[in-house]
Amino acid sequence: MAPRGESQDRTNTPDPVEKGFATINTLRTGVKAFVDKDGEKRKAEILMIQTRKGKPSYYVHYEEFNKRLDEWIPADRLDLTQEVEWPAPEAPSKKSQKSAAPASKAQKQPKSTAGQKRPRTSTTSRKGSDTPELTSTTGNIQARQTRRPSLVSGGKENRPGSDQSISVIAPEIVTGTPQAEDSDIELPDIQDAAAAAKASAPSHTQPFSREEEIEKLRTGGSMTQNQTEISRVRNLSRIQMGEFEMEPWYFSPYPSSFTDADLIYICEFCLSYAPSLTEFTRHRAKCTLLHPPGNEIYRDDHVSFFEIDGRRQRRWCRNLCLLSKLFLDHKTLYYDVDPFLFYCMATRDKKGCHLVGYFSKEKESAEGYNVACILTLPQYQRKGFGKLLIAFSYELSKREGKLGSPEKPLSDLGLLGYRAYWAETVVDVLTEDGRSSGISVEDIGSMSAMTTADVLHTLQNLNMLRYSKGQHVIVLTNAVLEAREKQKEKEKIKGKRRIEPERLQWKAPTFNASSRTWNW
Amino acid sequence: MTRSTVAGSARFRQRKLSTRQALQILREDEVDQVDDETQRNITKVDTGVEKGEEIEHHLQAALSASQAAAVGGKVAQIYIPTPDAIQSSIRYDRLYALTFPQPATYIRFSSTVEDCCGCPYDLDDEDDGYLKAMNRKRNASTQCSEDQFEVTMDVLERTAQAKQPYAAVDNPPVLTLEEMEPAFDDEMTDSTRPFVKEIYEHWKTRRLRTNNRALVPSLKFETGAETDDSDPYVCFRRREVRAIRKTRGRDAHSAEKLKKMRKELEEARKLLDSIRQREALKREQLAVDRRLFEQRANLRQVKLNLPEQYKPGDEDLLINQRPPKSKSFDNTTQRAAGSQLRQQQKADGRSVESDLLTLQDFLELREAQIQKDIDMRVAHHKKWNEGWVDLTRAPLTPPLELNSGSSFRTATTEYLPTPPASASSEHLGDVSADVHHTKRPKVDPVPVRYASPSYDGPWQSQTSFRRRIGRGGRLMIDRRGMRLRSKDELDGLDDIVVDRFKYDRDDDDDDEVPTYVIDPNDFSSMRYRARINHPVPAQALRHAEPPKQVQAPAQASTTTGRLPGPDG
Repeated sequence: MAPRGESQDRTNTPDPVEKGFATINTLRTGVKAFVDKDGEKRKAEILMIQTRKGKPSYYVHYEEFNKRLDEWIPADRLDLTQEVEWPAPEAPSKKSQKSAAPASKAQKQPKSTAGQKRPRTSTTSRKGSDTPELTSTTGNIQARQTRRPSLVSGGKENRPGSDQSISVIAPEIVTGTPQAEDSDIELPDIQDAAAAAKASAPSHTQPFSREEEIEKLRTGGSMTQNQTEISRVRNLSRIQMGEFEMEPWYFSPYPSSFTDADLIYICEFCLSYAPSLTEFTRHRAKCTLLHPPGNEIYRDDHVSFFEIDGRRQRRWCRNLCLLSKLFLDHKTLYYDVDPFLFYCMATRDKKGCHLVGYFSKEKESAEGYNVACILTLPQYQRKGFGKLLIAFSYELSKREGKLGSPEKPLSDLGLLGYRAYWAETVVDVLTEDGRSSGISVEDIGSMSAMTTADVLHTLQNLNMLRYSKGQHVIVLTNAVLEAREKQKEKEKIKGKRRIEPERLQWKAPTFNASSRTWNW
Repeated sequence: MTRSTVAGSARFRQRKLSTRQALQILREDEVDQVDDETQRNITKVDTGVEKGEEIEHHLQAALSASQAAAVGGKVAQIYIPTPDAIQSSIRYDRLYALTFPQPATYIRFSSTVEDCCGCPYDLDDEDDGYLKAMNRKRNASTQCSEDQFEVTMDVLERTAQAKQPYAAVDNPPVLTLEEMEPAFDDEMTDSTRPFVKEIYEHWKTRRLRTNNRALVPSLKFETGAETDDSDPYVCFRRREVRAIRKTRGRDAHSAEKLKKMRKELEEARKLLDSIRQREALKREQLAVDRRLFEQRANLRQVKLNLPEQYKPGDEDLLINQRPPKSKSFDNTTQRAAGSQLRQQQKADGRSVESDLLTLQDFLELREAQIQKDIDMRVAHHKKWNEGWVDLTRAPLTPPLELNSGSSFRTATTEYLPTPPASASSEHLGDVSADVHHTKRPKVDPVPVRYASPSYDGPWQSQTSFRRRIGRGGRLMIDRRGMRLRSKDELDGLDDIVVDRFKYDRDDDDDDEVPTYVIDPNDFSSMRYRARINHPVPAQALRHAEPPKQVQAPAQASTTTGRLPGPDG
């Protein structure tokens, strides 16, 4: 997956930004103003304005912070003593649309605002598509010109249709050297990789049309999606699940009437949802499910894993996806769950098997991914479950005799989780006894079911891959060793949770032609 | 992608890293510091995170912290802040009342959510209020339960959905109770029926208020409308069937299938054509028959008109099928064939079935045949060997227990003595015994002994006798178990007496036992064995020349080949 954000635009395209002072009455969506956040002023973009209890309320996104921190704020937190940035000219038309219409109408926005993404470049990933033909119809020459550099894109040449659509908007674009997508690095030269990373940073942006994206979703069996679809205002305010209550992080297509509910109840076992306690109580009186509805394939003292086929348990898997979409920005629910298997981790007690986290996996991944989406539910985060999930996904890959890697893009938390797991795994392999003769990158990969690209990624990231006396060497740096020692001590105290392969009762499921082609 | 961007001050280009090549693992202090210094800064690695999000402050902070740690800096681990989950105020134990009996084995489970959750309609506050009001008007015995209410609402909702699938779009009038009726019969118990009318009113009011939309908020699925694509609430679309990839193998496979189908159709066509021909011929034949009859009738008429020509027998002769030999024969056979065919077709099930042999019957038949064959051959064999004892080494048919056993009688005991072991199984193993043993384990008409008997049987110590009739009607008495006097004793006897006991030393040393050695690999004996073992047709067997065999006249008391095996 090539990186395709456009955020870097702003580094090399000095955007003409209209600035000026605003009053409460002149504020509109798209305006960027400074907002009081935990005692500091942060620049934030107003995404939606609603009148709540007779007072205007603003849904803001803090620039350069994750969307999960987006929130509704009252007017008094806006700092109008400083200048605000105005959105590009033709914006006004959308104001009425946007403020009046909930997200269901919001898709019109990209059309009318397509040409004016510039001023909001830092959040480009938010605001709908740069559908090429739309851009061209807006006839916003300025926007086109400023964008042009960003269209010097690579890595997408092999995507059918993309060339075409690009040429529509900007026939004069320079077709850049095809850049290796990171997943394509088979025998990466580190320097190449580094160079690619550097080079890609400023120029590597791609308009990604909705059509292409849908096609990619359909044929790729992907679970993640792109910026065109993720620009949503969070629709649920709070959810209740099991013994916990939490705030959703992102939009999820629960029934649209749920937007009005203060608290959505989610059944811990069947993951059904109810907008009021009465309904939820009735549901609980009838629901008999006590564990994820699939076969248990792993059980140790702490957790169990269940394997669930999206095709056989469509309702449950849909519920799961709706729930996890609340916490995964790049997840898509565009297509149905049939081509996926869901591996659900649960802790057991006398009440049942409580879902802690899960990862989904394509029944057949063309790109060799062993994980599509992975999530530890917020109420169980920072307890080491994420690492356990990741370890389990690699355990399955080992059993299958394949190398695996998670589907990209990763989320911020996903990246950190994977990096931690990779570092630990690689360091453990390297510090095993009898390694004095050295080890190749591929060997590390095959021992841990990690792809060579991920192994290299880890080695480089830990600064362990060095060049000494005319050859590459792996250096176990003191820092790395210390960190590992520290971690081991912590594990000794807390008790290490790990996956014990001998407790895994699993054979890679195979699917017949009809289920592979997903017809039903 | 220029390679020159290598860490700034690199003096020479580094070699490309091969992932297959084993890399040395070193500790930090083992690395040449000078070389190393140039690489102190970490190359930027593509993270796999969306570029737009990579710049987020919290992620950057976490990443740079870990990088700093990687080069040896002391940094506290940084977490990305996320909204916290808090303990809920719901009464968990009451809502989740069931207890989970954890099975000892891994759970296998295939019920769906729908199976496990009962009625999918859940009462909401409004329903609850209406239900309470409804029940207040009723006496205690006719209260409507929440479950009954839910079932009714569910049926109403589902029927409406089934009958007006596009209610949300084209806004039809709410279904009347009469329209709903048919569905009730299938889905409701009698106890629920009395409440239907009231609940329907409630349902109708609610539907009217929401423009006849479904009451339960549901997910938005695709409707085929244009707006679907951009509606973020539309989810879980069906994936179009992915085109099956064309490969040579797949093409060949389908070509093969088509060919086969064509061939089968062709055959069916031929069959029908043949039937058509047959029926046409039949019709022709009928016409001929009819013409024939008519001609005859004419002839008869003519004859009747000409009384002088008429003879009494003529009537039969003419009207009855006068057998014009060949023709009538053809006729009948064809008829017979035809009728038979038809009969078979008609009585399909039974007649065909009764014609068929079951495998069991067939096997039994064969079994019986084989058994008969064997019996016959055994009898045959016995006939040859009558009066003869096979004393060859490893004889094919050792002296039959039946004969010998019955004829030997011990002098002292009543019971029949165990006959001598004919041969040990090890010796027979190669030929007949094995074959017999494996093929016919149950029925064993040839009393062949397979295992050596306990050899210290009675006859060694006990004296026993057997009477036989030899060639020319000679009567012979075989003795066994006679204790010979020692040589010394014999010394005193005269030659004639000694000679008489010459063959009586059965329990003496083996070497002295007369053994008739026959080479088992000898051609004739092999042929003999082969015959015996091979199912020769009875006829052939009869005509076959009795195989040569070393036959030895039965000798007193040494009858049985005392072969090495069973010797005690």
